[in-house]
Amino acid sequence: MAEIVWDQTGDRIYETGVDHGVLYIPDNLGVYNTGFPWNGLVSVTESPSGAEATPQYADNIKYLNLVSAEEFGATIEAFTYPDEFAQCDGTASPAEGLFIGQQRRKSFGLAYRTKVGNDIDATDYGYKLHLIYGALAAPTEKAYTTINDSPEAITFSWEVTTTPVDVPGFKPAAQLTLDSTKVAAGKMAAIETLLYGASATEPKLPTPGEIITILSAP
Amino acid sequence: MFTMDRRLKLQALLEGITGAKKAYFQPPPSLAMTYPCIVYERDNTSTQHANNLPYRNMQRYQVTIMDYDPDSQLLAKVSRLPTASFSRHFTADKLNHDVFTLYF
Repeated sequence: MAEIVWDQTGDRIYETGVDHGVLYIPDNLGVYNTGFPWNGLVSVTESPSGAEATPQYADNIKYLNLVSAEEFGATIEAFTYPDEFAQCDGTASPAEGLFIGQQRRKSFGLAYRTKVGNDIDATDYGYKLHLIYGALAAPTEKAYTTINDSPEAITFSWEVTTTPVDVPGFKPAAQLTLDSTKVAAGKMAAIETLLYGASATEPKLPTPGEIITILSAP
Repeated sequence: MFTMDRRLKLQALLEGITGAKKAYFQPPPSLAMTYPCIVYERDNTSTQHANNLPYRNMQRYQVTIMDYDPDSQLLAKVSRLPTASFSRHFTADKLNHDVFTLYF
């Protein structure tokens, strides 16, 4: 048995930042086979909910805990959004430059990257890829304000709820996370080629099953 | 991101306010200026971040109106610029100085 030691050099790990946002629009079959860069991404706040315990009593004791289903939600904040996101925000564009609000909201997928740092390599230590499936944006306010003597660009914000997708061998899920400090570099590169595209391939959001297949390969 | 083009646009704007080429950007002490005039210098940058990078920069300038006339005609023109904010007034060598900050 080895003695537990805390905060050794190289073990002081933290997470920070957000970048490499990609919006994926599903086709009629629900396949996320087109991706668009999300510029000006300021933050993604993950807000899972549910998983609430309901205690049950019997024989004068707490007999068991029933736990409700867990749902994944998030809030996206950005200075701007891809043109293709308009349809996910309830905006239709019947002609170039014309946008009509209060339309049907299309679901979307999202990928973004956060940094993993430690005390040796700082934020070069690694990163996490976060993949969101079945997302639906709720209407949110856009507060346009006058230019003044301390001008700032406004940020847009969208609250997102999700519908889980099938994950082979597990309960349906709406969120996957890949950690580059634990996944083999070659496999990580293969997944990133799918996510971000290459000279001959379009960016796409692979299904959880496809990702598990890549990671399970020898 | 700061670009020379942007600064030159401010130069043209301030020259338009003076009605002559009497807007001086960070002039050397040896420069003989004619009054009334506007002297300006860069004094800060406002940065907003996104995607782990500086996403938007705005330069802040200190803009000083120098005029022997305490009721300078330039005052109203500069104060009407959208991001101008009056900072202070002082007199030196019989010249009235009205200092503004301005994002551009």
